[in-house]
Amino acid sequence: MAAAESPSAALRRRDLCSRGIRLAGKMRADVVDLLDAYVEQQGLDASASVAAVEGVPLAAVERWDEQTGTQRLLENLAAYRAFRALLAQMLEEQREQLGEADAGLGRALAAVLLQVSAFAYHLEELLRLESRGVPGEEGDEEEEEEDGPPPPPRLSLFEQKLRGLGVLRELAQWAVRSVRDLRQLAKPSPATGAAPGLAESP
Amino acid sequence: ESHTQYERVGADVTMKCGSMDWDAAVTWTANGTDIDESHLNGSYLVLKNVDLSQSGQYSCYEGSSWHLKYQTNLRVGMPPKEPVLMCRSNNYPKGFYCSWHLPTPTYIPNSFNISVIHGTKDMVCEKDAVPKNRCHIRYLQLFSTVKYKVTLTVTNPLGKNFTTLTFDEFAIVKPDPPESVVAKPVPNNPRRLEVSWQNPSSWPDPESFPLKFFLRYRPLILDQWQHVELSDGTSHTITDAYAGKEYIIQVAAKDNDIGTWSDWSVAVHATPWTEEPKHLTTEAQITETTSASTSSFMAPPTTKICDKGAVVGSGAMAVCWTAGLVMAAYSVLFI
Repeated sequence: MAAAESPSAALRRRDLCSRGIRLAGKMRADVVDLLDAYVEQQGLDASASVAAVEGVPLAAVERWDEQTGTQRLLENLAAYRAFRALLAQMLEEQREQLGEADAGLGRALAAVLLQVSAFAYHLEELLRLESRGVPGEEGDEEEEEEDGPPPPPRLSLFEQKLRGLGVLRELAQWAVRSVRDLRQLAKPSPATGAAPGLAESP
Repeated sequence: ESHTQYERVGADVTMKCGSMDWDAAVTWTANGTDIDESHLNGSYLVLKNVDLSQSGQYSCYEGSSWHLKYQTNLRVGMPPKEPVLMCRSNNYPKGFYCSWHLPTPTYIPNSFNISVIHGTKDMVCEKDAVPKNRCHIRYLQLFSTVKYKVTLTVTNPLGKNFTTLTFDEFAIVKPDPPESVVAKPVPNNPRRLEVSWQNPSSWPDPESFPLKFFLRYRPLILDQWQHVELSDGTSHTITDAYAGKEYIIQVAAKDNDIGTWSDWSVAVHATPWTEEPKHLTTEAQITETTSASTSSFMAPPTTKICDKGAVVGSGAMAVCWTAGLVMAAYSVLFI
C-alpha cells in the first residue's frame, strides 16, 4: 500500500466515509424502531437478557482505538454480511408465522435488510478504494468437510423470537460502532491501513 | 483498658467498670465531668435511650484511690441506610466513574466496598483520592451489549446496607457541560447575539466522538426559553433577539449518537447591540428599577423593562404599561 494517498483518493475516501456514516446513522435509527416494534409484537420483555447467539457477530471489541483501517473495514464487512443472512432468515420465519398484525413488522424487517445489504456494499467500495481485495463471502472459500456441517436444529417459536431479539440488539450496536469506525477512517492519515497487506482470511 | 464502643441512637447502654465487681465503689466521668449517681446501677453505668450528644469519653475510677480502671470511647450513631449510587461516563470512550453517598449521616465511621461485574468478568473500580466517595473504571471493551452490574456495600459497626445498579455502556454516557461559553453582541445588528463555547475538557476525543449541542436563550424578562439544536460546530448566532433586552444563554452537550444530555452550562448574559443614543429619554434613565425601554429608545444595555417586583409609583406603573403596549406592537411587527 502506498504510504501517501493521492488527493483524489483521499477525497473519495472521505466522501464514502461521510455517506457511510449517514447510512449507518439512518440504519441505526430504523433498527432501534424495529427493535421496539419487535419486542412489542413478539410479546417479549425489552429488558430480557439474551445469551450470545451462535452466528451473531458481536460488536464488542477490545482495544478498538488500536485497530487499523483495514481491520475496521474487514470486521464491519464480515458482520454485515452475517446480518444480511440472519435478517433474511428472520424474514423467512416471519413469513411462515405471518399474521395480519405482523405484516408491518415484516416490512420493517425487509427495509432494514435492504439497508444492511446497501451498507455491506458500501463497505466493499471502501475496501476496493483501500486497494484491498474484497474477501469472498463465507461458504465460497471454506473447504467442505466430508460430511458437511450439520444443519442447525430447528428452533422453537420462542427461541426464534429470542434469537431475533439478540440479532437486532447486536445490529443496533454494530450500527453505532460502524459510525465510529468510519469516523476514524475519515480522519486524514498517511496510512489508513498500517497492517502489512491484507491479513490472511480467517 | 480502653476501647471504642458503638451504640445505636435510642439504645439503652450499660457500661461495666472493667473487671470491677458490681458492688465496688466507683466514680464515672463523661469527658472529664463526674456523672451523677442516679445513672449508676452498682458500679455499672446505665444510659437509657442514648442520643448523639452522649458520645464521648467515659472513664471509671476506683473508689477513693481514683485509679483509672476503665475507659471507653462511646460513639452513638446509626446503621447505614441504603446508599445512593450513580455511575456515569463523562469521558467516553475511556471509561466511567461511580460515585455514592449516604442519604442520612450515621455519625460513625463507614467503609464502602464497590464491585463491578461485566458479564462474568470482575472489574476493578479504582478509588479516587479526591473525592473519596468515587471510583473509576477503564473500558476494556466497547460496543458491548452485555450490561454492567455495580454493587456498593456500606458497612459500619452497627450494620450494613447495599445497592445495585445495572446499566449498559451507552446509557450512562453523559458529557460535562460545554465550557467557556461566551455571548457577544454583533455590531450594527440590534437583534443578534453571537454565542460560542468549547467542548468540555473532560471529553477526550471530540473528533472521533463528536458532540452535538443544545442552546437555550431567553430575555431576562420572560420565562419561556427558545431552543436550538446544533449538530456540529461550537458557535451559533441568535438572530431573533429582542433589541435592547438582556439575554440569558446556556448550552448543553450530548454525544452525537448515544447517551444523554449534559447539565446546562454556566449561564452567560448579553444584550444585543444598540445604537448610540441620539437624544436622552428622561424616564428611561431615572432609576435602575424603572424603565420604558423599546427598540426605538436608546436605553442602556442594563436597562430592564417592567419587572413585576418593581414598584416605584403610579408614574412608573403608567410607563410600564406604555412599554408593554409598545413591546406588543413591535412583537407583532417582527412575527
